[in-house]
Order: sequence, then C-alpha cells, then structure tokens
Amino acid sequence: MKPSLLNRIINAPYILWSAIFIVIPLFIVVYYAFTDANGALTLHNIFELKEYKHTFLISIWYSVIATVITLIISYPFAYIMSRKSVNKQQMMMMLVMLPMWMNLLIRTYSWMNILEKTGIINTLLGYMGLSPLKLIGTPGAVILGMVYNYVPYMILPIYSVMSKIEPSLLEAAEDLGSNGFMKLKKVIFPLSLPGVVSGITMVFVPSVSTFYISQKLGGGKIMLIGDAIERQIQTSYNYNLGASLSLILMILILISMAIMNRFTSSEDGGIIV
Amino acid sequence: MKTLSKIFTALMFLFLYAPLLVMVFFSFNESKSTSVFTGFSLKWYSELLNSSDTITALKNTLILAVLSAVIATLLGTLAAVGIYNMRSKVWSSSIMSVTNIPMMNPDIVTGVSLMLLFVFVGRLIGAITSLNFFTLLIAHITFNLPYVILNVLPKLNQTDPHLAEAAQDLGCTPIKSFFKVVLPAIYSGILSGFLMAFTLSLDDFVISYYTTGADFQTLPLKIFSMTKKVVKPDMYALSSVIFITVLVLLLIINIGQIRTRKSN
Amino acid sequence: MKENNNIIELKNIVVEFDGERVLDNLSLAIKDKEFVTLLGPSGCGKTTTLRIIAGFIEPQAGDVLFLGDKINGVPPYKRSVNTIFQRYALFPHYNVFENIAFGLRVKKTPEAEVKKQVSEMLKLVNLEGFEKRNVSKLSGGQQQRVAIARAVINKPKVLLLDEPLAALDLKLRKDMQNELKNIQKKLGITFIFVTHDQEEALSMSDTIVVMNEGKIQQIGTPQDIYNEPKNAFVADFIGESNIIDGVMVKDFVVKLDGREFSCFDSGFEENEEVDVVIRPEDVDIVPPMQGMLEGEVTSLTFKGVHYEIIVDIEGFKWMIQTTDEHKVGETVGLYIEPDAIHIMKKSEYSGKYGDYSSYSDEIDMLNELEEDE
Repeated sequence: MKPSLLNRIINAPYILWSAIFIVIPLFIVVYYAFTDANGALTLHNIFELKEYKHTFLISIWYSVIATVITLIISYPFAYIMSRKSVNKQQMMMMLVMLPMWMNLLIRTYSWMNILEKTGIINTLLGYMGLSPLKLIGTPGAVILGMVYNYVPYMILPIYSVMSKIEPSLLEAAEDLGSNGFMKLKKVIFPLSLPGVVSGITMVFVPSVSTFYISQKLGGGKIMLIGDAIERQIQTSYNYNLGASLSLILMILILISMAIMNRFTSSEDGGIIV
Repeated sequence: MKTLSKIFTALMFLFLYAPLLVMVFFSFNESKSTSVFTGFSLKWYSELLNSSDTITALKNTLILAVLSAVIATLLGTLAAVGIYNMRSKVWSSSIMSVTNIPMMNPDIVTGVSLMLLFVFVGRLIGAITSLNFFTLLIAHITFNLPYVILNVLPKLNQTDPHLAEAAQDLGCTPIKSFFKVVLPAIYSGILSGFLMAFTLSLDDFVISYYTTGADFQTLPLKIFSMTKKVVKPDMYALSSVIFITVLVLLLIINIGQIRTRKSN
Repeated sequence: MKENNNIIELKNIVVEFDGERVLDNLSLAIKDKEFVTLLGPSGCGKTTTLRIIAGFIEPQAGDVLFLGDKINGVPPYKRSVNTIFQRYALFPHYNVFENIAFGLRVKKTPEAEVKKQVSEMLKLVNLEGFEKRNVSKLSGGQQQRVAIARAVINKPKVLLLDEPLAALDLKLRKDMQNELKNIQKKLGITFIFVTHDQEEALSMSDTIVVMNEGKIQQIGTPQDIYNEPKNAFVADFIGESNIIDGVMVKDFVVKLDGREFSCFDSGFEENEEVDVVIRPEDVDIVPPMQGMLEGEVTSLTFKGVHYEIIVDIEGFKWMIQTTDEHKVGETVGLYIEPDAIHIMKKSEYSGKYGDYSSYSDEIDMLNELEEDE
C-alpha cells in the first residue's frame, strides 16, 4: 500500500465526521434561519429579531460587566499564584480547577440557596437582627453567577502566561531601575497580554450565551439570548426563530473574537482545558 | 502587601468553594430544606440508592460517557495521526480550524445546530422522532473529538519522526510499525484524551439538553429537571457523589501526568 | 549486468520537494563491500540520496537498482538494506536487548536463535552486560552502538549511516570512526555513510562522493579528491585551498600573477583560462628575493601545529601554513614546487571560492557591528 493512499484512508473518517457533524450543522442553522416551518424561504425570522433588541443588549452588557469584574479579580490572583513555589502553584491551580468539574447547574443552584429570600445570607442577616436584602432576581445576581462560573477560565490563561515570564526578566527590569509599578507596567503586563486576551474570550463567550444562570439567579425576570433560544427551541418549538437567534449569537461571537484577535497575533495563551 | 495578598487569596477561595460547601453541607440535612440545617442525616444518600430513576440515569450517563469516549478516542487518534502525516499545510491547518469550532462555539449553538441537523434529516426520512440515544451519542463524540486530537497531536510532534521509519527499516509494514513503535510513544496522550473526553461527557448538560430524546435521560439532565421544581437535598447528595467521582478521576489523571513527567 | 560488481546503482535520479529540485539527474554506482561516503554541505542532497536507497523517498524520475534489479517502489521493509539514523531512533519503550532483537522478532525468529544472535551482536559492539538497560539512560556512544547492533543483526547487504557521529563529542567521534571502520571490515558489507565533515570522510572512506546542489561534483578515493579536485567547489570544501586564476600557456607550464610556473598538468588548450589550486601547506616561505612571488603578511594566527598566515600578493590573499613565525607587515617570498600546483578547468564555481581576502576582514567587520549595538 502506498503511504499516501494509507494516509487518505486514515484521514477519511474524521474528515467525513467533521464535515457532517461540524460544518453542515452550521449551514443547517443558516437554512432554518431563512425558512419557515414549511421550508419556504422567508426573511420573517430575521425581521422578528428586532423584538429581541433589548435581550441582545442586556446580554452583551451583563457579559461585558461580568468579564471586566472577572478580569479585575483574576489578574492579581494569577499574579500572586505565579510568584509562589512550584508545588504551591500546582496545588492552587488544582484548587481553582476543581469547582469547574462540579456541574454548572448545581453550582448555580447552590448560589440560589445562598442568595434567595429565605437563603443563607438572609438567614444570617436575620440572626444578626438585620432586615433581609433582595439579592435574587437582580442583574447583580446574574452577573455574580457569570463571574463565579467562569472565573477559572480567566485565571488559568493569565496564570499560564505569567508563570512563563522568566524571573531573570524581572531581575533585569529591577537592575535597570524599574520600581514595582514600572515593572508591572513595562514587563509583566505586556507579556501577560495574550493570556488576558484569551481569558476575556473564554469568559465572554459562555457568559453571553448562558441560559441557566439567568433563569435561576434572575428569578425568571431577566431574559438573555440563551434563554430566548431555549424558549423557542424547547417550549415554542419554533426552530426557525431559534435558528436565527443562534445565527446572530454565532456572528456576535465571531465579531468579538475578531476584535480580541487584533490585540494579539501570537498563539500563546491558547485554550486551556 | 503580603497580608493583603493572603486575605485576597483566602477570599477568592472562599468565593470559589462557598457553593460547593453549601451543597455538601445540606446533603447531610435531616429536613427537606436546602437553606436551614436541622440535623445530620444520611437519609438523602440512602434515598438516592433506592431511587430507580436515579440509578437508571447514572447507568445511562456511564454508558454514554464510556461509548462516546471510546469512539472519540479511536477516531480522534486516527485523525491526529492523519493530520500529523499530512503533507499539505493548507489542508492540515484548515482541518485544525474545523476541529476548533466545537471548542470555540458556545455549547448552546453546538447543541442547537446538531439538533437542527437531526431534525432536518429526520424529516427527510420521515421519522416520527428524530432525537434518541444515537443522536446524543453522536453529539457527545463530536464535542469530545477536539479534546482527544489536541491531546494526541502534541505527543506525535514530540516523537522522533525516525522512530516509525526505523521500525519499517527493520522489517515492519507501516501499519505494524505504528502499533509497535508509535502507539507506545503517544499512549499517554491517548489516555489523557480519553479521560478528558470521559469526564466532559459525564458533565455535559447543554449539548445533551438539545440532542437527546425523551427516552434517554442522563444525570445532568435529571438534575436539570429536578431544579425546575423545588429542590430537596437528594439532588445535593447526588451532586456530592458525582463531585467525588470526578475528583477521583482528576487525581488519577494528575498522578499519571506526574509519573510520566518523572520517568522522562 | 550482475558481473560488474555494483551492489547499488542510481540512474538519472530526480527528486523535487515543493517544486524545488533536491536531486538533479543524479547517477551513482556503488561497489560491493566498499565504504562509500556521501560528502557535502547541508542541503546538498546527500541525505535524500540515502533515503532513496533505504526506500523512504520515491524519486520522481530515474531508477534505483539493487544487484542489477530495479527496486523502485519496493517498500523499506522489503529491502535488504538497514539504516542508522541521525539521532539513532532507538525505541524508548524497549530495553537494549529488545531494541537489538527487534528485526528478528518481526521475522518471528525462534527465541533461542534471537538470544544467540543478540549476544553475538552485543559482543561485536562491546556492550556485553547491557541487555537489560533502558536505552534512554545510555550515553551517546552506547546508544550509537545499540543502533549499529540493531541494524546489522538483520544481516543487511548494505548499511546506510546518516551522520551517525554528529551527536558525539570530538574525542568519542574519533574512536567511533575507527570502530565503524573495523565493524565494516569484520562484516564485509557495504557501508554508505553520509557526513558534512570532510576530515571524517577522508579518514574513513574507500570512495568519497562529493555533492553540492543536488549534483555529484566528484567521485574518487580520498587521495584523488584531496590532491586532484575537479573544480573550485571540491578544492575549497575539502581542506583549505588558494584558488588563483591562471592561464595554461602550454602543456606543463601555467602562468599566474604574471609569472610562468612549471607544473605536472597537461591536456589543456593553449592559453586556456584555468583555476590553479595551491594548498596552504605546499607553499614554502623564503626570503623575499629568493621567492617566485612576493607579498606582505597581513595576518598571523597560531594554530598549535603551525601558524596560519595570510599573504597579500597583488591584491589576492593567500593562506599559507608554516611552522615559522612571521610578523604582520613583513615582506616574504613564496616558493612553490611544480608538484604543489594543481590545474582545474573553469567551472560554475570559479571565482566563488579560494580567496582569503574576506577571511579576516569579515570577522573584524562582525566585531565592529557587535560593538556598535
């Protein structure tokens, strides 16, 4: 058997699989978005999207806020982590990853228990004789859910870039007269930028497309794009509108990735699982 | 500065672990409440064992995870070898971009797009229901594949390209040289790819939610339907069990990685 | 065809990678039981030639013959040649014994026979007692020996060696050169050896094939190649050479730098322009007036055995090796014996090599650049 023929046989199953189950489904989404229930071409689903203008805006707005907060708390945390001894770094890394392996539904539901009207925080406040706070059902609760669930996706890429900065570089900066702040501004921040960029993408994408977090922590009053898609597909069985919403979501994500890619051309940071 | 960073680190971990602590704590609650602790009890765990629903869902989850991980590992390893041996840069990089799509796309879009494909094909062939165990299995294999490929490909790149040639030079056919020489060299990558696929499949809710049929429920799907009503601590007990299982799996992966690092 | 004693013949081989021609119409015949070295700078096509013989590359055109039979398209595992790879490519998951036994195991040889042959091989390469060792824990030289044993246990008719000594340090390399030569004699098989190291080639080979840019420049014994280089490339690549433009006045008389010299070369046309090669060690330095040529010393480097001096003669810089010390700026005379002069026909390489005018200046310039930064 010729090596090239053998190679073709090896490649065929995966190429076929990814064509059928990765590429074609994306075209099917487009097909459904531009047809009606009977399969006739229509722009109706696209026009209907303007009803969802508010949904899109708050989805993006909440996700941006969540991403910014995540970045603000993750950056110093990743820096602290990267300055620890190797063994400690590994242990902290493990501790950061662990909660991610608990099902998102449970983690979110657990927050509901903490935040709800008769929940843990309000029970504690009651013991202290304070009046209960309205926590659940607010945009704050939804954003908290996003930050909580996706914060490891921000910490890990930033940490992995920072831990690769050679200590000799920092020493060189000190040697050349940089103080703490200058060191951060001139050395650490530019070198950690690729990690920040991939962290932002990895937090923004799942935040903007979530549907469970908003349902549980938003008290059913806050509807995001994910919720809209879920409702069309699972409740109204309007696959065509669901497809057009998914299409817009996909385009939104492509645009945000293109924007983020402009900040870094390197392949560092990458995707960390 | 030192104490400040210590306080900050402690707060971060408190934040990360608060919901997990709540979950484990209330799984031992005597009463039905998930916010007021009335006393220690294991009754929710024993109830779990007696619930045939939960046992079925657990069985389903495991069947799905094992099957999808095995198939994804076979197909993904084959794909990685194929991509590695590709002469044309254009082809291999475009295949890698397609491979990245399920990882970049939000889960909801992956789930919806696959579901629409199944519904579309189902309509074409006139099936009554288009979603079932097999569509779920296909969906899981599809989102597992990139993780297998991305675990195996670096191992192939690290392997001396002359190794396979040496085996052929000594009398092996290309296929035999793969099994005798290349496979042992990339084995650890295949194993970690498999374990990752297995855990991801175990944990997946969003994609499963859109691609499964009414007759096949996995644990995450069951948890979802449970959280639609008022939750009793039995769900927390279930989650604690899953959590411990995943923890053990992760430890196995980590120990394996440390061992290979040491032997190198 | 079989009576001509050629074990391997390459005929008009053409290989192109991505449109770039790596081997250009290459033909080569290799005699049985010879130690043949393919020598050339990196990218000259020597490794490609080796891989064609091994069967890892199929040429786009041309024939590969083994004992007179065409073997194009025969896969590597069916060819009776074995290869020693550049970084040895030992199997990391097998110990020394299993690495060496690999070929026999593939052939399903009985266990007793495997044991017997492997221990013979271990003896051949002086690795007795290493059977159970992990190959990744061995030193470079030991790994090299395992690679040799693993290849020759299959009793190949031809052993192909792809820069096998490149990863070893200088001292070990010298020892392994002798050992390889001994093993070749003991086994009585053909070795085809690839290297870019001209000293290695000169000291080990029966025949050297000098290659450049996908073409064979010269085939010959080490003595031929050194003493009678065919063109400026070969003269420059093998050892140091001064290559001066000259005119062949008539048989046995060549004119360079305006002076006629007698030499041993003939068969050129009258007044044909030629390249004249004079090795640095063949020039004697004499007092100015007693020399045939006269020039000024522009640099002097101590090399241990001798001094290397650069002498400027009418703008052309000669390299001369001498045991006497001369001062920079001193005027010296050069005396050249007729047998020190070697005449070559003009070639595409004429004028590209063999002038040492940039030799020291270049280094000075680099130093200046570095200081500027």
